[in-house]
Amino acid sequence: MGKDVLTGVHFLSGNHACVEGAIAAGCRFYAGYPITPSNEIAERMSVRLPQVGGIYIQMEDELASMAALVGASWGGAKPMTATSGPGLSLMQENIGLAAMTESPCVVVDVQRGSPSTGLPTLVGQADVMQARWGSHGDYEIIALAPSSPQECFDFMIKAFNLAEIWRVPVIFLSDESVAHLSERVVIPPKEEIKLVTRKRPSVPPEKFLPFKPGSDLVPEMPIAGEGYRVHVTGLTHNEKGYPDLSAKVHNKLVPRLVNKIRKNADKIVEYEELFTEDAEVILVTFGISTRICRDVIKRARAEGLKVGLFRLITIWPFPEKRIMALAQKIKAFVTVEINLGQVAIEMERIVKERCKTFLIPNAGGAVHDPDEVFAEVKQIVSGLVE
Amino acid sequence: MKTEIIIAGFGGQGVLFLGDLIAYCAMKEGKYVTWVPSYGPESRGGTCNCQVICSDQLIGSPAIVHPDVLIVFNQPSLYKFLPRLKTNGTLLYDSFLIKELPAREDIRVVGVPAFQISKMGNMVMMGAFLAVTKGIKPETVYQTLEEKLTGAKAKFIPVNKDAIEKGIKYISDKSLETSNE
Repeated sequence: MGKDVLTGVHFLSGNHACVEGAIAAGCRFYAGYPITPSNEIAERMSVRLPQVGGIYIQMEDELASMAALVGASWGGAKPMTATSGPGLSLMQENIGLAAMTESPCVVVDVQRGSPSTGLPTLVGQADVMQARWGSHGDYEIIALAPSSPQECFDFMIKAFNLAEIWRVPVIFLSDESVAHLSERVVIPPKEEIKLVTRKRPSVPPEKFLPFKPGSDLVPEMPIAGEGYRVHVTGLTHNEKGYPDLSAKVHNKLVPRLVNKIRKNADKIVEYEELFTEDAEVILVTFGISTRICRDVIKRARAEGLKVGLFRLITIWPFPEKRIMALAQKIKAFVTVEINLGQVAIEMERIVKERCKTFLIPNAGGAVHDPDEVFAEVKQIVSGLVE
Repeated sequence: MKTEIIIAGFGGQGVLFLGDLIAYCAMKEGKYVTWVPSYGPESRGGTCNCQVICSDQLIGSPAIVHPDVLIVFNQPSLYKFLPRLKTNGTLLYDSFLIKELPAREDIRVVGVPAFQISKMGNMVMMGAFLAVTKGIKPETVYQTLEEKLTGAKAKFIPVNKDAIEKGIKYISDKSLETSNE
């Protein structure tokens, strides 16, 4: 057997770091269908999983891949797949199934230029909304966005832990630039990596109700073949797991699926702030764009401009509370993202009249030019003074 | 201290490996590094390039607008990237494959007939890069080759090393010539 945690210093691409993060997090099942720019994940998984006693399957398509994840999850595995925007579109039906059946799993989406086939080998960040509600119906997922190979490793562990705790699909919103960027990655000793596994049944099979939630709104999860009756369906189901097609049951189940994330958002939300204490203007960003904004902030501060950075680590759930608090004391938020305003529209919704909101968009194909972003930020700052 | 390098050429010339090797070696010498490849959907024949940053400080944007060093292996890449090279920057180009050199007086130009000297033209250029910039120790590169090329690939270590040494020698011979003039 090979080692599951490759403790040490490595020179890894974002995609390869994702694989090592997943394996360190306990992922032992991968089902996927190749697509650029996520292929290095499938390639490395196909080598690494057999070394650690895991299962790697190349499926016939993305629909089947996602279905396999739901099955593997109920078989007790921590499953994952990796794809890009077009593949994520094809996975949506079964992402909805995973949300409805509360199957923990991780879906890596290495975003590329889109819509449709778009720019297969070039960067995009336009799957933000697809990640949230790409499948039909009301449901909530968790989405994380890394900005470096090191974060690909660290956040993959976070992603699996969150999937296990909240029993939702976690969408890992990487992007082509982070995926193909190689940097130093430090993998810590195995005993320093904190892992979480799903809540298991606390009562014997005859007393067990598979969809009866705990105080955190998450039910305990049995594993198929252990003696517990497991009926898993995409139909509206009661606490026994059986279909119950009534408004009453539906109005209990669906709000719970949504509320287990919304009401627990404080425990899930993560963000990073830089120079926000005295900032008048704050750049809001995520993923690879974080790094461009870091350069911009450095330059702005050197010129005495009070510009700060608010970087989303979890995009969903959105850090609404913190943004509202910041909006009270600053003049403007400027969203920098490689799409035409998907996070920006969420910012407008939350900020309302508390302060101004701006967007520096980019349809994709390349990251923002720091010079141009800096020029625009300067212009916004000077416009606010008048 | 921050050095930004763009390396460009045809797919198959070892452009990406050269960048990867520079970044890895700089990392081993304690630098922060980023390596970003860029290529089209084709596996061979298209143009490709990669961007390497080596720095003493944490690196923000890994994208390079104006490089300090430009290494090119074909004519289209030279046309594409030369205007972006910083004033007082260094151009390393394959003088065997590139015949037309657009005039720029504000840069240092070093021609190396890399693919004429060896089939491993990219490694000859690695040697030239080491000799010209003196940013990385050759010993680190040889050590890295031994770590990277293991198992069935181990047999390629001597040819790579040989090509690097030829690149270093070409530059030292050349500078000897110029100093004699």
